Amino acid sequence: MEIEHVKGKIMEGMPGFPRQYGPVRSDHQPGIPFFPQETARDFVLIFLLVAIMFFLSAVVTPFLGPARSPQISELIVPDWYLLFSWGLLKVADIFPQFTIGAGTPLKTEFSAAFWGDLLSGIPVIFLLILPFIDRGREARPAKSPVRSAFGVAFLLAWSFTASLYSIREVVAQRWQTPNGSPLIDDIAMKWFFVIPPVLVGLTSYIGLRRLGFAPMRRWLVPYVVGLTAIVEIQAAAILLIPGWLGPEVRPYVVELGVFFLVLLAPMLVSSVAVFAMTESSARKWIVRSGVASLLVFAGLTAGLWFSSTANRVGFVWVLSVLEPSMNTLLLFPIFAVVTAYLGVRRPYSTYEYLLNECYQCGKCHTVCPVTKVEDDALGGLNLVYNTFKKQHDGVPLWTCLACDACSAVCPLDIQYSDYILEERSKVHARMAADGGKRE
Amino acid sequence: VPYADLTRVVLETDQRQLPRSHAEKYELKTIWYWYPLYCLGGIAFVAFVILTITGILLGFFYVPDGRLEIDPTTQNLTNPAWNSMLVIMNEIPFGFIVRGMHHWGAHIMIAAVFLHMCRVYFTGAYKKPRELNWLLGVVLMLITIMFGYSGYLLPANNLSEGAANIGINMTRASPVIGDQLARLLFGDINTLTGVYILRWYWIHVFILPLLGTALMILHMGLVWLQGVAEPH
Repeated sequence: MEIEHVKGKIMEGMPGFPRQYGPVRSDHQPGIPFFPQETARDFVLIFLLVAIMFFLSAVVTPFLGPARSPQISELIVPDWYLLFSWGLLKVADIFPQFTIGAGTPLKTEFSAAFWGDLLSGIPVIFLLILPFIDRGREARPAKSPVRSAFGVAFLLAWSFTASLYSIREVVAQRWQTPNGSPLIDDIAMKWFFVIPPVLVGLTSYIGLRRLGFAPMRRWLVPYVVGLTAIVEIQAAAILLIPGWLGPEVRPYVVELGVFFLVLLAPMLVSSVAVFAMTESSARKWIVRSGVASLLVFAGLTAGLWFSSTANRVGFVWVLSVLEPSMNTLLLFPIFAVVTAYLGVRRPYSTYEYLLNECYQCGKCHTVCPVTKVEDDALGGLNLVYNTFKKQHDGVPLWTCLACDACSAVCPLDIQYSDYILEERSKVHARMAADGGKRE
Repeated sequence: VPYADLTRVVLETDQRQLPRSHAEKYELKTIWYWYPLYCLGGIAFVAFVILTITGILLGFFYVPDGRLEIDPTTQNLTNPAWNSMLVIMNEIPFGFIVRGMHHWGAHIMIAAVFLHMCRVYFTGAYKKPRELNWLLGVVLMLITIMFGYSGYLLPANNLSEGAANIGINMTRASPVIGDQLARLLFGDINTLTGVYILRWYWIHVFILPLLGTALMILHMGLVWLQGVAEPH
């Protein structure tokens, strides 16, 4: 330790402590230069993109159908990016249709096409007002779980299910029962607009909150147990209420029961796990039961499908019960198990989650009293950043005073001393487990 | 010889100020694991440049005339636009691959624009002070979708006919001005005359490129001025 360092008090101007920060810094330019390094990388990307386009146009040639004619012969499906609007147009017939102001110049017809226009406008309006609704400061996806979960549910899941609805005729024709009625009926397809996006949103919310170390039990238990209860009640109703199953399905009631069991078993295990088990054993049991039931389901499906024609017919009749209620009977088990897993899974270490926000401003280092007396810390260290990168413990673990000066000046509220205390307690825990011996 | 360093030294000796990369400007040592997704806007722009080049080439040979006619030899219903597509694909040298590039470039551009929007949404990059750029981006996405829609009206095949019918019906459903709007955008309130091909050709090759290019310059200019939004 050099006493002059301490006398100086302020370290700026010492080697590694520049007086200038950011873009104005003139002593050296760290980082990767724009030219030629980044330019070279960009050209690699551009050439790759052009190569992909050449490849696609040579191998998957665009199709030019017959010339236009006034008779529309076949089912028209627009390009994929307009399917959501086409699906909304098709679902718009659930809204009441009437006319107001008939006979006046302001006659407005509330037709299905009008409702379709309105529905397609909703996402656009949402996108336009988004920056004025969301004024919070958190930017990272895991830090603002409401926004992220809503985005996954609305931008991804909802636009997918809306697009799916535009091909309802294809779905109805492609998958049918042996007597020719569609396996996935129109009502089930309509519920796709609501149930999968809501499930996706809730699951993402729980998973993301868990990443931020929120205790999610209060959400997890009602969610998983509730989904389980709904599936149980529905399965019991289908099996027990006389007359629910049609005469064609009656002979296959045993197979149906087995499928219900396979779907319900992991849900029941997950419910018990999130309700009563410790997190580490809950995690194990949820994964085990989920994987086992997935394998049994796939095995049963393959076995029934490929063993004999009679079995295949029976399997299709079983599906004719499962698929019209797929929003509950098939999606609920998947989401219950996945959510239960996400809700108890071990998140990133606190250390990485909290420290990786650091953008190396160096304020913590300027105020840290320990770095004024530790020779080790000279040379442009940054407490949080170096700790995060495991390059050098910014302040060695046992010399930190936990004075919290660094947290007080941190623009991102990173609680460095909390990390230090946590790491110390881990060392103590290890020592206790080893019978008091140092490592 | 470390060529990269040498170039830099030469340029700096000449006292030229090079534009600096984001990581360089802010002395970033960490690269966040979402950064690869930050290239999506650039990919959309590169696709747009390629679309412009291939579109200019296609424009030399495409005939924007959708009026129905009977082919004298086969007695089939055709139209000049569709016939010019056949010429482009079968007779013009490299016509097939240029049309293919235009087709796939459009798909890549729209996918990249959508994914770019998702990236901006999930990293919260639309927040203050970048609201204006987000609004520009939403308008640009709508322009891109209109580019795609007008693009698949132009071959004058069955798909164009169906898409034009849906478009006309949706436009006519707007209250009060529906029919007038349909006449303005599609030339008529049905697809029989085929005049919608000429209308949307002009929208596709003049109006949308003009608007789109202007807004893209503003969009990227604002990113240049305001900097890339950090996920902090």
